[in-house]
Amino acid sequence: MMSPIRTRVIRKYLLPLFILASTPLLLGTSMVPMPVEALTQNAALIMQGEATRSWSQWNDQHSLIYTYTEFTVARTLKGQAPAKVVVKQLGGSVDGTTQHVSGVRYWPAGEEAVLFLRPSEAKDGTHVVVGLVQGNFRVERLSSGEVRVSNGVPEVQWLNAAGEQSVSQSTPMTLHDLENRIQRAQRLSQ
Amino acid sequence: MSGRNFHRILLVAALAAVSMLLPPPASSHLPELTKVGNNIVANRWNFAGFPVQWNLNPATGSNIQGSNSAASVIQAVFDTWTSAPNANVPVTRGADSSVSAEASSPANINLICFVCMDADFSKDSGTLAVTITTTVTRGHSDGHGGVAAFDGQIIKSDIIFNPNVQFTTDGTGSGSTQDLQTVATHEAGHFLGMDHTGVTRAIMFPFAPASEHTLSYDDDAGISTLYPKAIADVTTGSIAGTVRMLGSNAAVFGAHVYAGSTSSALPFPTSFNLRKSPISTLSKPDGTYLIQGVPADSYIITAEPLDGPESTSDVPGFTSAYGGTIQTNFTTRWH
Repeated sequence: MMSPIRTRVIRKYLLPLFILASTPLLLGTSMVPMPVEALTQNAALIMQGEATRSWSQWNDQHSLIYTYTEFTVARTLKGQAPAKVVVKQLGGSVDGTTQHVSGVRYWPAGEEAVLFLRPSEAKDGTHVVVGLVQGNFRVERLSSGEVRVSNGVPEVQWLNAAGEQSVSQSTPMTLHDLENRIQRAQRLSQ
Repeated sequence: MSGRNFHRILLVAALAAVSMLLPPPASSHLPELTKVGNNIVANRWNFAGFPVQWNLNPATGSNIQGSNSAASVIQAVFDTWTSAPNANVPVTRGADSSVSAEASSPANINLICFVCMDADFSKDSGTLAVTITTTVTRGHSDGHGGVAAFDGQIIKSDIIFNPNVQFTTDGTGSGSTQDLQTVATHEAGHFLGMDHTGVTRAIMFPFAPASEHTLSYDDDAGISTLYPKAIADVTTGSIAGTVRMLGSNAAVFGAHVYAGSTSSALPFPTSFNLRKSPISTLSKPDGTYLIQGVPADSYIITAEPLDGPESTSDVPGFTSAYGGTIQTNFTTRWH
């Protein structure tokens, strides 16, 4: 029979280690799934908006093609955004040349999304998606009235600060659930 | 696959034609695609055009740890793809490069870089590496003094590893340390023109286990369809059909259709070091599908919605090439 002290030790130290060891790690070959909370921490701006137009162009060195998409901001969930935000993504087509980055989704005009963004390193006034593609949640409005969002990333399991196993809700999730998690993550980081 | 859509319209995967052991038709598996006019073509190298080589910048930061050199790992990765059965992939190591910025990568090299800091993604620890593949239309300069022989010809491919992610060259990733060979094997598939697959055991599945160094049957079907060997190591065929809704008979776009073996046979000899897996594709807007590179075996064909673990968001190249929205409003069916 196990003593109470020993039981507490196992709960406090060994159980989290056991869970960590036994949890199938969904390590991506190109990405590590980032839960909403991590995306929130890494984003300077989180906004919901609609793509209005996009264009592709070479960089100054004529070595890389970037696609720029202008969004009309409907509302901001973190940070402050102007009425229009331009998001810059690697890849696109210009004059018969196409650059592909697997997994990167571009937005046709009219598509609605919730985006986790930060300013581009180029400091050109554009923003980039946090986690390459993971901070790009497509908004889908169902005929039932429910609004779902998805970034295409499977379920993520990890241990929280208390050593308890947490499982992020796999996408798609409701927009309401996403908003709640963003708000909670911001409260915890303050 | 969950049956959460039971209240939805049922689906029938109608095998309009099952043709085993026939020469593969022109269209293929799950390559990266380019749309040129009304034509959708698979991206691929033209090995007859110019020698295709990878050029390593051997410089590494402290984020690369382990007893093996990064160069030896990358060589092992390309050896895995070039030795894939039924595939002709004459890609070799070229001269090393000192280029340390992706924006400065010349058109005539295929850079493998561990120290390129200029990509925006390098600020995210969640992104391990990206492969940037450049394709052109027929007649366009190929960057090597010639012109492209066909639409969708790959003329350049660079693999950039995130300098802010910890990698090990020892072959086993754990915790926050990623196994370099696993990541590089996936990226090398993109280098060659492969897109993501819905088969979870495949190296081209977007999310993989901590350590996976070999190709699956699904990966091999993809690479051997893109670059078929003149004389196959193992005879393969194809399975074709159409996915339609029960009742309305409407075509289903983007159903994940895969051939799963029902036997314990290993049609590829173990010497090829392939992992047996289902072989898959996605149905086109007219509902038709074509699974190529299928070795002789007994199969059950499954059509399932792309609603996890891989989702419609994971195959943007497929949806942007064909247009429209991938359907997930049906339940899994087996035939």
